[in-house]
Amino acid sequence: MSGSWTSTLLWLIPLGGALLVVVLPVRDATRGALALIAALATTVLALAAAFDFDPSGGTQFEQSHDWVRDLGLTYHVGMDGLSLVLVALTAVCVPCALGFGLWAKRPNMRAYAALMLLLESAVVLLLVARDLALFYVGFEAMIAPLALLIAVWGGPNRARAAIRFVIYTLVGSLLMLIAVITLGLEAGSFDLAKIGTSDSRWLFLAFMAAFAIKAPLYPFHGWVPDAYRESPPEVAALLSGVVSKAGAYGMLRFALPLFPGPAHDLRRWFVALALVGLLWCSLVAFRQPDSRGVVAYSSIGQMSLIGLGIFVMNDIGATGATFQMVNHGLLTVLLFLLAGVIEVRTGEGLFRRIGALARGRAGLATFVLFAGIATLAVPGSALFASEFLVLLGAFRDWWLIGALASAAIVLAAMYALRWISALLHDAPVDPAPGLSRMRDLRWEATYLLPLVVCVLVLSVYPYAVTHRVALSMHGIVSAVTAKDAP
Amino acid sequence: MIVAAAASIDTPSVQIGAILPAAILIVGALVLLIVGSFESRSARVTSGVIGLLSFAGAGLATWHLWNNGDGTAFSGQLSTDRYAALVQAIVCASGVACVLLGWGTRRLSDRIAEYYSLLCFAGAGMCILSAANGFVSLFVALELFSISLYVLCALDVSSEASLESGLKYLITGSVGSAALLFGSGLAYIATGSLRFDQIGTALNSGISHTGILLVGIALVVTGLAFKASAAPFHMWTPDVYEGAPTAVMAFMATATKTIALATLLRVMITAFSPASDVWESAVAAVAIASMLIGNIAALRQTNVKRMLAYSSVGQAGYLLIAVVAHTPLATRAMLYYLTVYAAMNLGALAVVSVREREIGGPVFIGDLRGLGRDHPLLAGGLALSLLSLASFPPTGGFLAKVYLFGSAIDAGKTYLAVIGVIATMISLAYYLRFLLAIYTPAASEARPRIVPGTRLAAVAVLVSAGVVLWLGIAPQPLVEVARTAAASLVPPG
Repeated sequence: MSGSWTSTLLWLIPLGGALLVVVLPVRDATRGALALIAALATTVLALAAAFDFDPSGGTQFEQSHDWVRDLGLTYHVGMDGLSLVLVALTAVCVPCALGFGLWAKRPNMRAYAALMLLLESAVVLLLVARDLALFYVGFEAMIAPLALLIAVWGGPNRARAAIRFVIYTLVGSLLMLIAVITLGLEAGSFDLAKIGTSDSRWLFLAFMAAFAIKAPLYPFHGWVPDAYRESPPEVAALLSGVVSKAGAYGMLRFALPLFPGPAHDLRRWFVALALVGLLWCSLVAFRQPDSRGVVAYSSIGQMSLIGLGIFVMNDIGATGATFQMVNHGLLTVLLFLLAGVIEVRTGEGLFRRIGALARGRAGLATFVLFAGIATLAVPGSALFASEFLVLLGAFRDWWLIGALASAAIVLAAMYALRWISALLHDAPVDPAPGLSRMRDLRWEATYLLPLVVCVLVLSVYPYAVTHRVALSMHGIVSAVTAKDAP
Repeated sequence: MIVAAAASIDTPSVQIGAILPAAILIVGALVLLIVGSFESRSARVTSGVIGLLSFAGAGLATWHLWNNGDGTAFSGQLSTDRYAALVQAIVCASGVACVLLGWGTRRLSDRIAEYYSLLCFAGAGMCILSAANGFVSLFVALELFSISLYVLCALDVSSEASLESGLKYLITGSVGSAALLFGSGLAYIATGSLRFDQIGTALNSGISHTGILLVGIALVVTGLAFKASAAPFHMWTPDVYEGAPTAVMAFMATATKTIALATLLRVMITAFSPASDVWESAVAAVAIASMLIGNIAALRQTNVKRMLAYSSVGQAGYLLIAVVAHTPLATRAMLYYLTVYAAMNLGALAVVSVREREIGGPVFIGDLRGLGRDHPLLAGGLALSLLSLASFPPTGGFLAKVYLFGSAIDAGKTYLAVIGVIATMISLAYYLRFLLAIYTPAASEARPRIVPGTRLAAVAVLVSAGVVLWLGIAPQPLVEVARTAAASLVPPG
C-alpha cells in the first residue's frame, strides 16, 4: 500500500475507536470519553485535510490496492472536493451528536458509542471510496448500526421504524448491488478510474432507486417520518444531516457520471419529482403537530431542493446543491439536537404540550432563534447563498421551475417561524409536567455551539466550500451535458 | 481356472495416499468403536479427543492431497484433484467444529464413543464422495455418510424428536438415494459408461440427447438435491434439523450441504456439461424455488434451528446458481461461498448449542433475549453470523454473494442474480428479527448457570467469526486457493 494514508485513516480512526470502546474493560463514562476522542480525532484530521486540499488538483489523498483480483475489486480511496466537504461535514456532525448522546446519558454506553463510531466509519468509507464495490460496502455497512441505534435506543414505536428503515433502504441498495456487479463485470474492474460510462437505463434507475430512497427524494420517503420521529434525536440528526447526504453524494458521484446518457434523458422527471417534493414537504412541515415533525419534513423538502440543484445539470446548480448539502447538514443536526434537548428535558415533543420556552431561558431562545432564522434562509445566511445558487441554476435552463421552486423560500419561512413561535412564545394548551422545571442551556452549548460557529463561518465565507467543489462539479456536469451537443 | 479368472479381472491398485483423509477418519472411527466397548469414566474425554484428532489429522492430510496435484486413483473411480482437496478441507473443518459443539452434550453420554465414531464415518464418506469420479464410487460414498447420518439423527434415543428425525431422514434420504441410483443407471444406458469423464467424452462425441439421458440427469439431480435440501426436495429438512442433536445438525447443515453441492457441480461439469441445454433451466428452476421457498418459509419460524434449516434451503438455492452457470468463475464463487457458508453456520449453531443446554430445551427467538448480557462474546459471534448470512459487508457473506451473483451475471444469467437479490431482501426480515432479539433485554434478571462445553463452543464461535471477518476483508488468499482448485475441475478459459 502506498500513497496517502489520510483517506484510510479517516475511516479507520472511528472503526478503531469503536473496537477500543467494545474491548477495553473501563467504566461507561470512560467509554463515552474515549468515543468522543476518536470522533474528535477524525474531525481534526478531516479539517487538516480540508486545509491541505488543493482546489485545482482533482482527486487527492489517494491510495490503491488490489482487493479481490478475480472480480476486479480494488481498495481505492481518495477525495476530491465533493468527498472532502462531505467528509468534513460528517466529521463535524458526529462528535456533536455523540456529545448529545453522552449528555443524555444513553444506557448501555458500550454498544451505543461503538455503533455511533461504526456509523461514522461507514459513512466516511463510502465518501472516500473510489471503487464501486467499496462504496457499496460503506453504503450497506451504515444500515446495521443505524437500525440497531433506532431499534434499541429509539422511542415507543422504534421497532416498526427500524424495520421500515431497513426494508426501504435495503430494497434500494440491493437493486443497486445488481447494477454495481453488472457494471463492474462489464468493465472488468470496479475501480472508478477504469469504469467507462454505460447507456443502460435499467442500471441507472437501479442506482437512482438506492440514492432516492436514501436521500430521500419524494415519493421514496415513506420510511423517513417514522425514522426521524422514533430514533433518538441525535441519530435522527445524523440520519438527516449526514446519512441523507450519502444519497445525494451517490447521485453526483455515480448516477450522473457513469450514466450520462440516461441521466440526461430522464432528468426532467427527476426535476419534476424534486419540485413536487420540495413544495409538498414544505407544506406538510407547516402542518406538523410536533417539533421533530417540522424538522423532518423540512429536511425532506431541503433534500428535494438539493436534488433539483443536481438534476438541472449546470455548474451553478450543482455547486449550489453541494453547498446546500453542507449547510443543510449542519442546520438539521442543530435543529434535531435542539428538539432533542427539549424532548429529553420535558419528555415531550408535541406543540400542544410544550411552548413559551423563551421566558427565563435566554440561552435556549437564542439557539432556537438562530437555528430557525438560518433555516428559513434569511439573506446573509449560508443557506441563503446555497439556495440562491440552486434557484439560479434552475432559472438558467427552466425559468418556470425556478419560479415555482422559489415559492419554497416563502414556505420555509412559514414553517420555520411557526416552529420558533410554537417553541418559544405560544403557551401550550396542555403543559407537560416537566415544562416548568426545564433549566436554561448549560452543558448543552458544548455540542450546539460548534455547529453554530460552522454555520456562521460559512455565512461569512461561503467560498471556503464553493471553490473546493467547483472543479469536481464542473467535471460531473460537463460529462453529462456533453450529450447536449450532437 | 480360478487363477485365470482372477488374472482376467483388472484389480485396482489401492493408493491409500489418494484417500488419506478418509483413511485417517476410518481408522479413527474404528478406534472409537473399540474405545466405546470399554466402560470407562474417561471414555467421554478420550473419545472426544480421538474424534477431534481424527478430523484435525484428516484436515491436515488434505494438504497432502493438495500438494499431490491433479490425478486419478482406483482405476479412475476417484479423481484426486485440488477441487476435492479443498472440499475435504471444508468437511474436516466442519467436523472439528462439530466435535467441539457436541462436547458438552450430556444427553448422549452413554453413547458418546458411537457418536464420534459415526461422525468420523460420515466424514470419511464425504471425503471419498468429494473425489468421486464415477457413479459407483459416488453411490458407495454417499451411502456411507448417509447411513451414518441416519443413525446420528436418531442417536438420542430418549428423545422422541430425535427418533422422528432419524426415521424421517432415513425414509426421505432413501428415496433420494434410490433416485440417484436409478438416474446413474439410466445415464449408463444412454452413454455406456459410469465414469464422469467418459460420460462427458461420450456426450461430446455426439450422442443424441435421448429421453433416457434426460430422465437420468433429472434423477441424478433429484438425488443430490435431496441431500443438499434444495426445494422442492427440502420437506424433510426443518423436521430433521430440529429433532437432531444440534452438533449433528451443524454437521448436516455444513458438511452435507457442502459435499452435495460440490458433487453436483462436479457431475454436471465433468459428465453432463455437453448436455447443458437440457438441464440448465431445470436446475435454475430448482435454484429459484429454493431461494424463494426457503427464505419465505423462514420468515414465520420462531425456533432458531428451524429458521436456520429453512435458511439453509435458501442458501442451497444461492449455491445452485453456480451450478447453473458452471463457468470457471462460478466454480470459484461456489468454493468461496461454501467456505463462508460453513463458517457462518457453525458460528451460529455453536451459540445455539450452548443456549440449548442452558435452558434445557429447544431455543426459540424469545430465549435469545438477554444473550447479549449473559454472553457478550457468544452474542457477538451469533450477531456476526447472522449479519453474514444476511450478507452485510464487511462479512464474508457479502463478498460471497457478490462473487456468486457476479458469476451469474457473467454467465448471462442475470435473472438468477435478480431473484437472488430479491431472496436476500426477504431473508433480511428474519435474520434481523433474530439479531434484534439477541440485544433485547431479558425478561428476568436471573443469569443462566454456565454449562459445560461453553468454552469449547466459544472457541468454535471465535474461529468462525474470525474466518467470516477475514473472508470479508482480505479474501484474496482464499480466492487464489479457490482459483487453483476450480482450475482442476474446469480449466479457466
